[in-house]
Amino acid sequence: MDQSDVLLLARAQFGLNIAFHILFPSLTIALGWLLFYFRIRYARSGDPAWLATYKLWTKVFALSFAMGVVSGITMSFQFGTNWPGYMQRVGNIAGPLLAYEVLTAFFLEATFLGVMLFGMNRVPGWVHVLSAAMVAIGTTISAFWILALNSWMHTPAGHEMDGSQLVAGDWLQVIFNPSFPYRFTHMLLASGLTASFVVAGLSAWRLLRSGDDASARKTLRTGLVLAAVLAPLQILVGDLHGLNTLEHQPAKIAAIEAIWKTEKGAPLVLFAVPDDERRRNDFAVEIPKGASLVLRHDPEAEVQGVEAFVPDAAPVAPVFFAFRVMVGMGVLMLLAAWTGAWATRRGMLPQRWMLWAFSGFTFAGWIATLAGWLVTEIGRQPWLVTGILRTREAVGGASGAQLGASLTGYIITYTVMLIAYLVVLTHLAGKGADA
Amino acid sequence: MSLDLPLVFAALMGLAILMYVVLDGYDLGVGMLMPAADEREQDLMVASIGPFWDANETWLVLGVGILLVAFPAAHGLVLGALYLPVAAMLVGLMLRGVAFEFRVKAEGWHRGLWNWLFWFGSFLASFAQGLMLGRYITGFHPGFGYYVFAMLVGASLCGGYVLLGSTWLILKTQGELQKKALAWARWGLLWVALGVALVSLATPLVSHTVQAKWFDFPRTLALMLLPLATLAAGWRVWAATGRLKRGEREFDWMPLAATVAIFTLAFAGLAYSLFPYVVIDRMTIREAAAHPSALKFTLVGVAIVFPFLIAYTVFAYRVFRGKARAGLYE
Repeated sequence: MDQSDVLLLARAQFGLNIAFHILFPSLTIALGWLLFYFRIRYARSGDPAWLATYKLWTKVFALSFAMGVVSGITMSFQFGTNWPGYMQRVGNIAGPLLAYEVLTAFFLEATFLGVMLFGMNRVPGWVHVLSAAMVAIGTTISAFWILALNSWMHTPAGHEMDGSQLVAGDWLQVIFNPSFPYRFTHMLLASGLTASFVVAGLSAWRLLRSGDDASARKTLRTGLVLAAVLAPLQILVGDLHGLNTLEHQPAKIAAIEAIWKTEKGAPLVLFAVPDDERRRNDFAVEIPKGASLVLRHDPEAEVQGVEAFVPDAAPVAPVFFAFRVMVGMGVLMLLAAWTGAWATRRGMLPQRWMLWAFSGFTFAGWIATLAGWLVTEIGRQPWLVTGILRTREAVGGASGAQLGASLTGYIITYTVMLIAYLVVLTHLAGKGADA
Repeated sequence: MSLDLPLVFAALMGLAILMYVVLDGYDLGVGMLMPAADEREQDLMVASIGPFWDANETWLVLGVGILLVAFPAAHGLVLGALYLPVAAMLVGLMLRGVAFEFRVKAEGWHRGLWNWLFWFGSFLASFAQGLMLGRYITGFHPGFGYYVFAMLVGASLCGGYVLLGSTWLILKTQGELQKKALAWARWGLLWVALGVALVSLATPLVSHTVQAKWFDFPRTLALMLLPLATLAAGWRVWAATGRLKRGEREFDWMPLAATVAIFTLAFAGLAYSLFPYVVIDRMTIREAAAHPSALKFTLVGVAIVFPFLIAYTVFAYRVFRGKARAGLYE
């Protein structure tokens, strides 16, 4: 087995793992805050429907959190097993950021989750409310550190060389690197949207199953209204993030827009089948001068094409398609959320076809989030850390056979876990809050 | 003033690993004991570890995290050499982690399946950790004998975790289940005795460095305190379980405390053998250490966060003190 196969397997395994993992944090980061909200509503009103709501969603949270924890532990090992070159080269920066995540977030959320799940009758009410807040704060701090590191890999800053070693010169610049504020906000909003569609979707499912349910009506409304507010914000932040990428990672933008040649008055490619072999688009539908207008706000401005970045250009087709899936899902989610917020105004119950539609959108956030991560991570290739370390330089000594065997094990385990997770989620939602 | 940063981080990593072994050890042990209990007892056993297992496993992430941050060169070497047992451990930890959640929500044969997976995951993770320990202390030498040795250490660590789990249950339960746990603890103790003896005899045989450190008179005499104290702690477990069995006066936390003492002493012995190596006879903590700027920055975080971490961990154990109660998310 030659080195390129090992690289492919290492990437497949890590990609599978990280894609599986991100499903759960993207739900729990915001769901933690929603639980805190439900808990506060109950503490203030004493309304048993809010308590029931809190208890039902606590179960969903605990399950999702456990899935995130176990797949996250796996990732903490795979940094070393799959990418030893990564740690050798940038360990002095990546290591401390990961350590801060463990220290400031993991213990906080795990410990207070125990109190939150099992301690309601053992601690005073305010301590329990505080525990719910700690869990939500913990998940958000965790996102902060991991996105600081991820953003640094996209737009490195604040580092310097000490002999042959890459070290941090200024930690504040490392953490608050150029793409971090955009990426962090984009991810938090993505989590907000993921959680609100899961909450709305499962509540709609409950209403379809039971006819009516006070708790499910409350959460359907909560989810839809939250999504209706967050969706337009996300589109705005996503656009700003894109402009930031144009400034710092123009190669990624060229791949997203499938612009092959550097030209003035570049067209906006709405749809095409990009051909990475021959560096051209088939079946293209374009708006003349559109890309120059959108990216540079000037129809005659020059836009750099993929060719300008060879040999370090990103693969175009996957980035191009993933970007369109993300944006398409975003627009659909916006429409669904606004329709839903309107249809549930003043305590109204939406029609059945609409409830079916919301149920269908339960995991819309996952699709958009995964597509977004594919865009940004594949769009960085062949770099692992832009301008500093190429992915193929980081792959390690594990043999193809070891990678293959463990990859098979992971695929089986993840498939079983995901099926069981979805079955239990549907089952919990079907039983509703009184279960 | 200059701190010896590699030494500080070696100590921190040791602490994190010891915390992990003791804390996740008891909940892995409880998982392995599942088939020996009836359905009602199983619910109680799971309830006794419910509030803690997430945080317990976080110590593993901290341990491997410190290895990664402070000793990056060793991190790649160790995890590369242990690739397959690490993967097996991770699959085991995943299975038991989610089985924990799924089993309470499942009904009928599904519940039986998740109970089985909870047991299997706990066993797989424990055995794999023992394998990793066995391979690690023999310096990853290839050869049939070394693999057999690693398997024996794997089995012994399972025994050790069973001992931790059953003494945890002695503390957290009462009545029939506590009686059962007393019997389990004694079996676990025998396994631990075998395991500790095995590792103590094998490490000096494998490595001259280790041999020289232990057999260096008159220091050897002082060092003999370590095995003697371990023996005393083992005897304490045996005696305390005996008294509890016969219904005589004894603290229900005594067997657990003495077991933790055994683990701590064995760990101290191992640490003494290995120091200053992070990979025995191949790489010292100084050779493997990361750049001082990374270590300093991390140490600031550790210094700030550790007091809080300890405080809320103690808080959580206080909230859930006393005997376990069955029931989900009350």
